[in-house]
Formats: sequence, C-alpha cells, structure tokens
Amino acid sequence: MKTVNTLLLLVLGACIALSAQARDQRDYHEMVYDSGCKTCHDQGMKSFPSDDSCLQCHDMSELAQQTKREGDEARQNPHDSMHYGQEAPCMECHGEHTPKQAICMDCHNFDFPKFKQ
Amino acid sequence: MQTRRSFLKLGAGAAAVGAFAPLTVSANSSDVKWDETHEIVIVGSGFAGLAAAVEAGKLGAKDIVIFEKLGVYGGNSTLNAGQACFANTDLQKQLGIEDSAELMVQDQLKSGRGYASEELLTHSAELGPYIYQLTKDCGCVYRDHIINTGGTSATRSHQVVERSGSGFIRPMLKTARSYGVKTKIRHKFEHLITAKDGTVLGIQVRRGYHFGHEESGELINVKAEKGVLIATGGFGANVSFRQALDPNLGADVGCTNARGATGDGLIAMLAEGAMPVHLSFIQSGPWASPDEGGFGYGAGFSLYNFPHSIAIDRNTGQRFMNETADRKTRADLEVLRRDKEGKPNPALLIAPKHEAMKDPSMHNVLKYNVAWEFDSVDAIAKHFDLPLTELKKQIEDWNIYVKAGEDPQFGKRMNMSTGIYLTAPFIVQRLWPKVHYCQGGIQINTKAEVIAAKSGEKIPGLYAAGEVSGGVHGVSRLGGCSTPECMAFGVTAARSIMKA
Ligand SMILES: Cc1cc2nc3c(=O)[nH]c(=O)nc-3n(C[C@H](O)[C@H](O)[C@H](O)COP(=O)(O)OP(=O)(O)OC[C@H]3O[C@@H](n4cnc5c(N)ncnc54)[C@H](O)[C@@H]3O)c2cc1C
Repeated sequence: MKTVNTLLLLVLGACIALSAQARDQRDYHEMVYDSGCKTCHDQGMKSFPSDDSCLQCHDMSELAQQTKREGDEARQNPHDSMHYGQEAPCMECHGEHTPKQAICMDCHNFDFPKFKQ
Repeated sequence: MQTRRSFLKLGAGAAAVGAFAPLTVSANSSDVKWDETHEIVIVGSGFAGLAAAVEAGKLGAKDIVIFEKLGVYGGNSTLNAGQACFANTDLQKQLGIEDSAELMVQDQLKSGRGYASEELLTHSAELGPYIYQLTKDCGCVYRDHIINTGGTSATRSHQVVERSGSGFIRPMLKTARSYGVKTKIRHKFEHLITAKDGTVLGIQVRRGYHFGHEESGELINVKAEKGVLIATGGFGANVSFRQALDPNLGADVGCTNARGATGDGLIAMLAEGAMPVHLSFIQSGPWASPDEGGFGYGAGFSLYNFPHSIAIDRNTGQRFMNETADRKTRADLEVLRRDKEGKPNPALLIAPKHEAMKDPSMHNVLKYNVAWEFDSVDAIAKHFDLPLTELKKQIEDWNIYVKAGEDPQFGKRMNMSTGIYLTAPFIVQRLWPKVHYCQGGIQINTKAEVIAAKSGEKIPGLYAAGEVSGGVHGVSRLGGCSTPECMAFGVTAARSIMKA
C-alpha cells in the first residue's frame, strides 16, 4: 500500500464522476475510486487496465508471503503457484467489476477462504 | 486464397468470427504495414514453442519472440503430469533398463493402429536422449526412478520431480529468456500473412488480448525474417469444433485442457491450405471425475486404482467394462451411463481403502471432495441410490475373480489385483470422461515444415510443432509420449528455421 499516496497525488484532479459501468466496487478499493477511473484504467477507459496496473499499489512477492501455505498445500500458494510462479497477472483471477475465481479452480477444488469473488 | 474463404464460411461457427476481421492478408510484403519485425516468430508457449526458442537461442538466433494469447505461459504443457517417454537415456542404463528408439516406435505404431507415421515417430524417438539432456541443461530435475505407462514394452516414462509439466515449463521459460527471447502474454495470433505465391511472411496479432473478450486489444502486423512457428496446441477446449469432428464429444463431456486449447493455429493454417490429418481422432481420458475441473486429482486416483477396483453402473449396480482396457474403449462405455432422461449418471469407481491408501492421491481426492469414504456396501448403495442386492452380489463375485485370478465378466488382466480383495472401508469416486488429446492436426514432415494440401509440398516460411501437428500418433497416443514429441519437433523447427 505504500505507493498509494504518490498515486493519489498523481491523479488528483482527475475526473471523479464514476460511470454507471463501474459496478461491483470493492469497499477496500474506495480510495482508488476517489482518485478516478484512470488510476487503474491506465490504457484508456475502453480497455482493460494493464497488467502492471494493480502492481502500482500491490507487490507480488509481498502477496506471495501473505498467502504462503504449509505442508502438502505449500504449492497451492495462488501468488506463487507450482504452475505459474509469481507470474500470473492479477486479472487472471481477480475482477474489480465482475466476479471471478482463481484459475487454479479450473482443475482443482482448492479452498481459498479469503478469496473474494 | 479461395481455400481460405471457403473454409471461413464453413468454419465460422467454430471459430471466433471476430478473428477474421478483414485486413490485407494476401499481399506482397510491400503492401503490408509492419508494426514489428523479428528474426523468428513463435506462437504458443508450451513444450513445442519453448523447446524451439531454447534451441534457436542455442544456435545463435538473436531476435526470437514468443506470443502467448493467455495471461499465463505453458498451455496444456504446464498442466501436464510431467511424464515423458525417452528411449536409451543414461538413467535407463543406470537402472539396467534395455530400450531403443526402434522399440519405442514399434510400441507407438501398435497403439496407432496403422495410422501413425513411422517416419515422424522415428525422428522424434531418435531425438529423445537429446531432448532429455536439453531439459536437464535447462534445469529440469527428473525423479530417480522411471515409471511404467500403458502400452509400452520397456519402462521409459521419465518424470520430473514436480510430477507436473510445470517442472519443464518454468526452467525452459527461464532458459529461453536467458537467450534474450522476448516472451509476451496477451498476444493472440489471428492469422498468417502470406505473399501471393503462398509464402508466409508474418502474422497478425491482437496485442493486449484478454481471453473471452475477442475484440479486446489492437491488431498489429508482425514480420518474420526467417520463419513462423505455429505451436498453438490442440483444440480439445473448442466444443463446437471437436463435436463437428466427433459427435460424441459435446458439451456434457468435460475437458482436461487449458482454456487456450481452441485450435486457433490449426484453423488459421487450414485457411492457408495446409493438409489436415486425422482430425477426428480425439482422445478422452476415462480416469476423470466430474466433481472437479480439468485433470485435477481424480485422474491420479483412478489411474492407481483401476487395476484392483471396479467401475459400477448406477442403474444396474453392476460392472460394465474392463477397468484396464485402452482409453478409448473405457471412455466410450462411460459416456453411455445415463439416467432415463438421457442425462449423465456417472459410474462409480469403488476402491478398497487398504490398497488405495498406498498412493498419495487418496489424501487429495478425499480432502478436495472428489471421492468419499464409506464403511459398508449398504452405505454406498444408499448414498448413490443404486440397487443394493445387485451391488452386493457384484462385489462378492469380484472377490471370487480376484481369488481365481481370472475375470470371466470382462477378461481383465488380474495379475495387478492378486490378493487385493474389495472389502470395507471403500473409497468411491465418480467417473465421467474428459476430452484430453487431439491426435489430429495439420501435416508436417521431419523438418517440421507444414505441408500444403494442394501440392503435397511445404508452405514456405511456415513451421509447426506439438499437438497442433497431426498424424504422428495415429488412432491413439500412448501415455507420456506427447511431451517428447512436442519438444523434438520444436527443436527440429528451430534447426530448420536457422538453416532457411
Ligand atoms: C492435464 C494434462 C495432462 C497431460 N499429461 C501428459 C503427460 O504426463 N505426458 C505426456 O506426454 N503428455 C501429457 N499430456 C499431453 C501434453 O501435455 C500436450 O499434448 C502438450 O502439452 C502439448 O504441447 P504444445 O506445446 O503442443 O501445446 P500447449 O502446451 O497447449 O501450448 C500451446 C500454447 O499456445 C497458446 N495459443 C493457442 N492459440 C493461440 C493464439 N491464437 N495466439 C497465441 N497463443 C495461442 C495456448 O494458450 C498455449 O499456451 C497431458 C495433457 C493434459 C491436458
């Protein structure tokens, strides 16, 4: 979260009015909404945000630490998985305006209790 | 170009229509506005694409690019079980296993039932020890024993320690990058760009593509100085395409493949007049469970338990197949298990816990609700609503067969069930086949050049390797035999391109 402040400064004054399309907002992203859609939609409003977009605020290796698992679940760390390491872009599993699920679930019934659809 | 247009009309249902938005495709190179130029252009980041990138890097190529349409690398290859059949490796010698490329080819020809290509199989088998070493040089780590997979006359399935193809993909991706290979996700190959004489000049790519959003991103034209390698894998996940080829493989049959296995590369090459081979030979896995997606954990559980367990039809409470018959025989019988309305009513694999517990997969299937434990036959019958008397009789009969070492019901080979009686507690998993592998594809030669249907000659500038190529395995591919073939032809394509 440390870069959020810089970010806020950068986009201060950006258009704040949210379009009707921005449904399904995450409460915990409220400050990002406050700073305008373009905070995330860095490639224009009609395009998906870039894969670096979320990484302005989130750090992959920190996330990997936070979701670390033990024992026979060690390889099920969604942010550092056996198949994709730390390379899977956030949007493969997470959606801000649309419900999604982890790509692991394409093949496995893993339990990710903290995952918010 | 007539070929392409007429194909488009037919194929429009199967292919994403947006993929064929009009643009100069058949043109002189001077007519095309190129956005990027690379020495070697590779499409697809699985075994075939990565092996080609690594080999081309070794051979001194300076500018290689890999385009991957998904957000992640590796396609089917990273989901794979990590088994690769190689003949005549130093590990085999160490373990005293005698084997040869010829023997491996003979085994494969047999399961190909007269349709496999001896020439392509021989080329791939002879490269086996080279591929084995190449992967080790990339940092792949093999287990120190070798596995026996079905249909082979020598033990030759080498498995990486991860027991997953990711044990190949991740080190190979790293190695490719160490050679300066540019790897790009979210770049979807749309179609080939050819000169009037059919020579492939480059490709059109949708940059910034998000899977499932066919209009996302922007179109760019990419020129290939030396050649284009299509390594886009199979089409198992494209339901309308596979069902057109095999009406039995509709949406109610699952699929073990990665999302991206939609046949894009194959469809685009057909559009340019490549020779289609054996497209209807599509293999389903009879070891899959409908209670999880993909290959999951259930496949490992059933593979271990089929030899000493029984598969039961829920309508009759009785067996309906030889649980160790070949993949096709079993998958065809499983998909017929349906209720009165014709809806799937998956069969039950009933395994004795005392034996099932010897394999680590039991822990996984129980933990992730892919199988359940029952302490009596009554409990199974009650839970799954099947005729108790018949089920009881079937289990008693089965145990008599185990004792006698003979299966009069379905002629199953009983040497793997000696002394293993089916007694409580039981572990029960549901069975429903999933589309697994496409034997068919476009035709290539031993140089990984793509062959034109019209002339039987190569299409200049175009190469293909991996599951997208067809005719190698014939009717049925043996377990563990795709990995080595995908890599062998990837390597071959790199060598050919570097010579071109
Ligand atoms: C679950 C599973 C387990 C398996 N286990 C084994 C095993 O243990 N041993 C064995 O020998 N075989 C196994 N197989 C088979 C084997 O893994 C595959 O045949 C092999 O991985 C195919 O490799 P490939 O490089 O041809 O294609 P893939 O690995 O599928 O790679 C193709 C890539 O191309 C990408 N792509 C597709 N279209 C486009 C496009 N338009 N633009 C850009 N990119 C595109 C795909 O997204 C994908 O990443 C298994 C298969 C599965 C599904």
